[in-house]
Parts: sequence; structure tokens; C-alpha cells
Amino acid sequence: MFKTFGIRWKEMNSFTYKRAANEAEAIREVADNRSAKFLAGGTNLIDLMKMNVQQPSELVDINRLALKKIESIPTGLRIGALATNSEVANNKLVQEGFPVLSEALLAGASPQLRNMATVGGNLLQRTRCYYFMDTAFPCNKRVPGSGCPAIPGFNRIHAILGASEHCIATHPSDMCVALAALDAVIRVEGPKGARSIAITDFHRLPGDTPEIDTNLQPDELIVSVDLPSSAFAKRSGYLKIRDRAQYAFALVSVAAALDIKNGRIEAARIALGGVAHKPWRSTEAEKVLTGAQSNAQTFKAAAEAALRGAVPQNHNAFKVELAKRAIVRILNDVSGRRVGGAA
Amino acid sequence: MADASRKVEINCKVNGEARTLQVYPMARLLDVLREELRLTGTKEGCGEGECGACSVLIDNVLVNSCLVPVLQAEGAEIKTIEGIASGEQLHAVQEAFIACGGAQCGICTPGMVIAAVNLLERTPNPSEADIRTGLAGNLCRCTGYMKIFEAVVRACQKQNSEARIQNPE
Amino acid sequence: MQTIGRPVPRKEGRDKVTGQARYVDDLIFPEMLYGATVRSAVARGRIKKISFEGNIPWDEFTIVTAKDIPGENCVALILLDQPYLADEFINHPEEPILLLAHPDKHLLEEARRNVQLEIEPLPAIFTLEDSLNRKEIIWGEDNLFKSYKVEKGNVDEVWQSADFIIEGEYETGAQEQLYIENNGVIAIASPEDGVTVWGSMQCPYYVHKALLKLFGLPEDKIRVVQVETGGGFGGKEEYPSMIAGHAALLSWKSGRPVKIVYDRAEDMASTTKRHPSWTKHRTAVSRDGKLLGMEIDFVIDGGAYATLSAVVLSRGTIHAAGPYSCPNVRIKSRAVATNAPPHGEERFAESNKTSRQKKGMGFASFMHGAGFTGSGEKYLESVVGAEATADGRVRILAASTEIGQGTNTIFAQIAAEALRLDYDSIEVAKPDTGAVPNSGPTVASRTCMIVGKLVESAVLGLKQTLSGSGLLKENYTQEDFRQACRSYIEQHGALKSYSKYKAPPGINWDDEKYEGDAYGAYAWAVYVAEVTIDTVTYEARVDDFVAVQEVGKVIHPILAAGQIEGGVAQAIGYTLFENVVWKDGRMINNQMTNYIIPTAADIPPIRVFFEENPYAYGPAGAKGIGELPMDGAAPAILNAIENATGASINHIPLMPESLIEALGGESG
Repeated sequence: MFKTFGIRWKEMNSFTYKRAANEAEAIREVADNRSAKFLAGGTNLIDLMKMNVQQPSELVDINRLALKKIESIPTGLRIGALATNSEVANNKLVQEGFPVLSEALLAGASPQLRNMATVGGNLLQRTRCYYFMDTAFPCNKRVPGSGCPAIPGFNRIHAILGASEHCIATHPSDMCVALAALDAVIRVEGPKGARSIAITDFHRLPGDTPEIDTNLQPDELIVSVDLPSSAFAKRSGYLKIRDRAQYAFALVSVAAALDIKNGRIEAARIALGGVAHKPWRSTEAEKVLTGAQSNAQTFKAAAEAALRGAVPQNHNAFKVELAKRAIVRILNDVSGRRVGGAA
Repeated sequence: MADASRKVEINCKVNGEARTLQVYPMARLLDVLREELRLTGTKEGCGEGECGACSVLIDNVLVNSCLVPVLQAEGAEIKTIEGIASGEQLHAVQEAFIACGGAQCGICTPGMVIAAVNLLERTPNPSEADIRTGLAGNLCRCTGYMKIFEAVVRACQKQNSEARIQNPE
Repeated sequence: MQTIGRPVPRKEGRDKVTGQARYVDDLIFPEMLYGATVRSAVARGRIKKISFEGNIPWDEFTIVTAKDIPGENCVALILLDQPYLADEFINHPEEPILLLAHPDKHLLEEARRNVQLEIEPLPAIFTLEDSLNRKEIIWGEDNLFKSYKVEKGNVDEVWQSADFIIEGEYETGAQEQLYIENNGVIAIASPEDGVTVWGSMQCPYYVHKALLKLFGLPEDKIRVVQVETGGGFGGKEEYPSMIAGHAALLSWKSGRPVKIVYDRAEDMASTTKRHPSWTKHRTAVSRDGKLLGMEIDFVIDGGAYATLSAVVLSRGTIHAAGPYSCPNVRIKSRAVATNAPPHGEERFAESNKTSRQKKGMGFASFMHGAGFTGSGEKYLESVVGAEATADGRVRILAASTEIGQGTNTIFAQIAAEALRLDYDSIEVAKPDTGAVPNSGPTVASRTCMIVGKLVESAVLGLKQTLSGSGLLKENYTQEDFRQACRSYIEQHGALKSYSKYKAPPGINWDDEKYEGDAYGAYAWAVYVAEVTIDTVTYEARVDDFVAVQEVGKVIHPILAAGQIEGGVAQAIGYTLFENVVWKDGRMINNQMTNYIIPTAADIPPIRVFFEENPYAYGPAGAKGIGELPMDGAAPAILNAIENATGASINHIPLMPESLIEALGGESG
């Protein structure tokens, strides 16, 4: 049946709400209640609660925590988990040192949503699979073991890499694809202390537990995303292919970063979006690129390598070809950009 | 700790007026504006943050009020379509929407006007691309957007010429 | 003080830009309940059991089933096949089964989730093919709602002598109208006082007719009022009759006002969409470029009930051969049933290697008939009234609705022009069946040409009355008119005039043979689209769009251009990415995240030009305009894509994967 009428704040199984005064309090609150959730921008969580897809028993509002700063650190840049997408995209340090991140953020959502959505929340976005979003259907991600109607159903927007027989959903974030190409490190704090998670280890493939999106523990709070400075980060860009010009999720997207010296690629990063359950870093493509001449032939070989393991579904074989073409296109683009005076 | 099923007190400013509200903390700002304050100019088009009909300004930041729990409004200044005109005097954007045919069925219009007002505050001389991307979060099914772009340009010209009169170079 | 052709301010413009315009969801009545609809999750089946579960205070709820219906359980439209509430058999997903009302809309939603339906599934069909092949008979004896056959000349003889024969099959998908205001109504109903509904709708008298049957009440006991309506596009033509009936049934039983407003997901999944279609064309052409013959087979999917499919099919049949002169034509058309929610009317529609970007230009020439098809207008017998007040103001009385397209404004312009009065001295009454005559539904591009003409003659009737009484001389001022009105009203009490539709001379139609003049007049157009195809990423972008049309006299240049621009924008979405995804007869991408429409960033400059060739029987020479742009924009864009890529596309929406297929994976 249908979702409706906003958050059901008055019904019997109502949830509790708490505004956390500091990080320790927020973490303690969520640690004590397994079905509690942190609430930041709310652009995804509130929508999912309204649709009855997620039903936390407690919301811990972290919006007043001091986690909004974007600042230089010795190794690069530190972005607070509560910085909004708009703030990050329009930040000078980001635009100069990590252009792919700014481009990816501006390629996503609408001005209103970018003003509300935070970096931490963006990392935890849920899939836009139609079947996941509609409680009339079974879904292994929503109700473990209930089945995956996307596999026999309409799966144009679904995964071509790393899927399992239990789930073929894709991760919808543009930002995370950029982070995967930037070797981002996610700093989190939990009841057992702080730890750092490499972006490639942050999200999971579905396997036989598609209900778990990430390796973040439920009681861990994302505090910042650290970006190491590098030559390739400066020469980086994002290409998103989608059905309409603004404000649509990617059919496929590519974040590419290159360090080129005298026509030779010293270092490369390639990550794909819209193709897998997580932002898909392609070390295969990077191997082809690293040490090779920066030219069209190399880019084509890299694209082939990136998609070699692709397994399309009934309605999305086109994504394989589209992804290859997108890789070549963005590599051409990025390799030709002027970076710090050198082409 | 607040029980989400119990009302709490919120203090904020709405269209310049200080308000104390007794609300459920997780009520959508949209519903509080429409039902508690009877400010029905803010519309619900989709309830999922997609269409922008519920756009309002919170501390001058454009947001979709259907996705904002009212507790986030504590201490904030909220501006809705009802607060855009100064009494009987319409805002330049509102006048331009009437003159250029920027409103047809009118349901997206309040959100579109708010987004346009905010765009011109942030970008006093927007390019066509600025207008297009600045309004991309407000869907309109009637106009094909042409008359809305014209209205924004017209309002911009009027504001700039008034600014010149006030501050002659 | 000429007003026709001038961009006077939209009548309700100020209210709309200030947020003061009141739509149905903005209204609250004392003691009002909220209503909700419990719907079927299966496409076809038999209801075995309904149970009320969960920790819900069910005794607080008003619950309505088919058994509670005081009159007939059918939505009166053309055929009486669609029930208000399924009694035993289910024929499509989302079919309404049961209604709930409660003062707390949040508890109401919880309750809706706790109504358990036990439905024994029956085999269902979902494709045109299965319906035509009668894999299951799900409607009538043959799944066929309606068929037409049009013959001219002798098509069978042209194929042998033709120099070229061109054949093709074309498919179009369903399109969601996606008005930004969801459907909604408020009803107050009781056996003593009858039924009154306020709602978002295009056709108040359709709702009136449907409620008469549902409640079995006399005409004066049913009152339907249109409130400000946030877009329609054909999507609020028939379904408001359903929602109005539901709200009224709940009010009838509870004795309190009931509001039903759909949310986006319910609106998208349950209400009517543009019919999906399949068309086969076979065309014979001579070497010197003359059309010798056309054979067209045209099938539309009407969903589970007949609704207005016959009307849509009729228009499609008549427009199928396009604006071309061709001596031999055969058109066969069918509307068939599937187990999907019924489809309804929508702004009608027919459907270099070195560079990475290919540009192309395409054009389409086409026409669109204004008004009801065939004898439709004759049967409708539309009436418009006008009344003058003692202070010299004139009020137009019509049931034609303002849904954004400018009805209020152009009616006032037409009246002001005919009476040579100020635009501001004309008012347009709110469509209220208790106060205005039936000027027919607001559909079929008929409001300006047909109803506008009635407005013109109704207000001229006022003038005639005044001159006939010797109160108004030939040349008069606004003040003279005011004094004449005052004198007349002092003497006679009221000054009113009504005008009823009469077919223009020489317009004849044969319902049996389906030949003659299908429309009083057509609008004619040539549209040109310029596109860029990115051959690497297969993205198609419309760069520029020129729309030239002859629509008779243009009443309001800005409103008219706005109609064209809006229609072209809808067509761009329809052509490039608006894709209704179905599973077992149910729309599964019923969220605006997953069914996308054009944003401000997707629309090219749309340049609109009017050729004005006044039509003798339209108001001030005007014809119809509303549906025209949807007819030609999609073909123009597809032709431009073909021009750019050499690939012929025969189905829309055209997504990147279709281009990959059409271009055979050409590398970039």
C-alpha cells in the first residue's frame, strides 16, 4: 500500500527524538539502542521513514555538533561530516585541489537538496532501486530473505559489477564515486574509540547480506572525510551520464584522476558510479593506465579492463558499453586539462 | 530526550514575526507551516524532496520544507511565499512572473518565486546557465520554463536599475 | 480599449504569485475527516475476505464498502463498466476496494496498512498482443472497447502501381501527466441536504453526472465546485469523478465533511495516464513524391475499463493520416483492455564520424482538430451564461475550468472585446454546478474556440437586451453601459443572457460512416527541432526548437505562447526519458525520483510564432490550441535524431540504450 502524509509521529509505535549536545552523547545514545539512527540533513532518511522503508525507534539529531568545518590539514583537506553538499562543492580548497569532488557534488540532486544534504549522510545514502523503495514488493535489502524482484523484473538501473544473487542494487551517490578516486579516508568515532576507514572499505558488496550497506558499525558516528593531497587529485574530473540534464541519478558515472609527467601517466585513479552496490574503484583500469602513455589507445584499453568482469542483467547490457565510453571520454577530458600551468 | 509523540516548544521567526510553537518534534516543517500557521502558500507536490513546490528559506538557505523536521527550525528565521511581498507591494520577481506569464496553474509558483528570489540575492546578475541550474530543483509542468526565465531576467533588470538609482555611480 | 491580442494580466495571477490562491488541500472544514482508499495489490482476482487487523481503534473509523453505496456502483461516463468500489472481482492493480475515514490522518494511514485483503488471483493480461490474441478474455466478449474503420478511395489497388512502399511500426509508452498538484476533493453529503464536493478537476459536470448515478439523487441535490486546480493535462478529466464519489460516500456515512487528497505515489500509481499505443503504417508513394495510399492500423491500450478510450481512439483515428492529401486511405483502429489501471486522456499525441557530437534537424507538419470529435459538440449542447450587475460589471457563467491554461483571462478578454468594455470590468464565475450552466468539459482544445464563442454570444445577448429596451445606444461608454445595466436591473430585477451551441453552417458529420467534417476547424503547425547526439555517451539533447502554428486569431500572445512552450516541454520529456515502468499491470516507478520530467536545465530555447488566419466561427476569430504542441514535437525530435545519426527510431521514450541499439555500437 501507499506511503503518505509525512512522518507518522503520533502513532502507537512512535519513535523518540533527541538532540545531541556533543559527539560522545550522540554515540552513547545510539550505542544504547540498536535501532536508533543519527539524523543529519535528513534528505534520504526522512523520505525512507515516510515510505516505511526504514523504521528507527529513535532519532539522534546531530545537526548542532561542531562537524561542519572544511580545513587544511598537513596531509591534505579535512571535511567535517556535517558540511553540506553545497558548502563542499563551492569551497575553493576543494575546487582547486580536488575538482572531481566539486564536479560530482554539483552533478547530483537539486540546489535545495544540496543545501540540506551532508557529507556524512551522503556516504550513507540508500539505493534508489524501485523495489527497495516500494514496500509492496519483497526486497532482500529491506526484509532479508524475502527475495529480489529486480533480478527477474525491470533492472535497467541496476548493477553490472559485483552483484549477487540476492541483490543487484546500485549505490546512488555521486560524491562517493569521487571520494573513491581520491583515496578518501573516513574518520569515525564509536563507543570503542576512533578509527579510520579507507573509502574502498567503507561500502560493501551485497553478497548474502545485502541489508548491510557499509562496514560502519551502527553506533559509529562519521566525523570527517580526509582527502590526501596529490598530483592526480588536482587533475581529476567527473562525468555523469543520466537521462535528464539535472537532478537525476547516474546511469553510469566515472571519476577519473591522473598524474601525467611528460606525456606519461605516473598515477591514475578510476572509480565508477551507477554500476555496483558500492562506488566501484577499478584497480584493473588503473594498472593499464599507470606507466602508459597518455593517449586514446591507453584510455580504451583501460576502459576495456575496467568492464572485463561486468555481468549485465536483462535490461542493462547497454551500461557496459556506456561505461566504457564514459571512461574514455573523461580520461580524454582530464588529460587535456591545464593543471597548475602544465598541460 | 524528547518523545517524538509528545509536543515540544519551538521558538523561531516566520516571515519576520517571532513565533512560539507547540509541535511534534518530527512533524514536517511543511505541515507546521500549512496546518498550524495556516500559511498554505507553501505547497506539497511530491513529499519526497523532488519537486520543490514546498521550497522555503531557512536562514536564507533554500530548502525543501517537506524534508525538514520542524525541530531544525529552532532559533531559525523562516521565510515563506507569504513573506516575499512587502504588504501590498509585490516583490520584483512576483511582478515579473505576472507580466511575463511565469505562472500558469500556480501550484509550483510559490516555490519557484522563492527559488528565484534566493537566486537573485546570491547571484545578482545570473547567466542563463545560472538561472537554469538555480531553478533545476523546482519542477513546473505547465510553462516549459521559458516564461519563468524571462521573468527572472526581467526582475533582475528591474532590481539592478533600482539599485543604480539608489547608488548612482 | 481593445483587449484581444494584448497581454493583459492573468485574472488570478496576483493570487498565484503571492501564495494566496486556495487549492483543495489548502481548505479545512470544521469537524472534517480525512479519507483514504484501500486498493488491490493484485491485477485480477476475486475478493475472498477483508479483515481489520493490528492495534487500531477500528470503532473510531468510518468504513465504506460497495455495500454502502446508495445508488449504482459505477462511474458514469461513456459505458457503465467501472465500479466505484470493487464488490467481488478485481480487474487491475490499485483498484479501490474499501474506504476509510478518520480525523487523524496519521492514524488513518496506519489503519490503511492494517486492512488485510485476501484475494484469489485470476489470470491477467498486460500487453496489447495478449489482449488482441485474447489470451484471456477480461472485458466484454473480445477485450475490445471500441474499434473504428475509415475508408477512402481504394487502398488495395495502389500497392502494385506504387514506386515506393514504406512500412513501419511505431510504439509509444504511457505518459504520466504529472500535474504538480495531486488529485483531491472535499465532500459534504447527507440524505437530507444532498452532496456537495469541492475539488481539483477539469470537468465539474462529469463529476456531477457520476454522482447523480452513485447516489440516485435528483440533479439539484448534487453540487460540484471546482477550486483552484494545479494542472490537469487531461489527467483530471475522469478520475476526479472517482475521488469525489469516494469522499462523498465517506461523508454520507459519517455525517461529516471528508477530504481525500492523494499523495504523489498514490496519484501516479492509481490515476489515468496517456494510453500506450502501437501503430503500423504502410504508405505508397510515387516517384515524384505524391502520396498514393495509406493503410494504418492503430491500437491503444485502454487498461481495465472503458473510461474515455473510445474518445481518444476516435481522435487518433481521425488524425492518423496527418495533414496530407492522399486519395486512398484505410484506417483501422482498436482500443483494447488489459489488467492495468484505466488510461485516460492527455494532451493528445501521435505519435559525422569525426565528431563526437552529431547535430541534426527535424521537422513535423501536423494539425489538431479543435472541439469534440464528429457530432460530439452537437450532443454536448454546451451553454454559457452572462449576467450584468447594477454597477455595470459583467460576470461569465461557465463550467469551463481554469487549470493554468488561462480560461478566466481569455473569457474576460473575449467578453470585454465583444462589449467594448474594460477587461477589469469582466469577472469569471467559479465553476459551480449550482450556479453555472454546463459549458461542457475542459478538454479537447475546445475551451477557447467552442466555449469562447458562446461567451461572446452570451455577452452580446446582454447588449441586445439593453439596446432592445432602449437603454443603450449604438456607441456607448463604460459609464453608459453601467447606467443602462442599473436602469434595466431596477426595472426587471436581473440581467442575464444564455447562449447554446449551434454547429457552424456547412459542418456535417456522419456517425455511421465516420465521414464528414470531424471538427469545425483545425490548428495547423510546423515544428522544427535541432538536436545534438553525443555519439560517445549516447545522450540526446534538444538544442533549439521552433514552433510555428496557425491557430486563428491569438487572444493572448503570452498565454498562447506559454501553452505551446509547456506542451513542447512535455513532449521533450515524453520523447527522451519519461518512462512508466510496469510490473504486472502496476506502475513501479511511481516516485518523482524514478519517473523524471524535464527540469529547467533540460529545455532548449523554444521559439514560438503564430500565423493568424481568423476563423469565422471562433470568438474574435480564434481556434483551439491546448493539445496541439504535443502532436508534433515528438516526431520533430525523432526526425532530427534520424537526421543526425541516420538511425530511424520507431519507439519512444528514446533512452540511451535505444540509441546504442539503433546505432549498432558505433564507436566514438
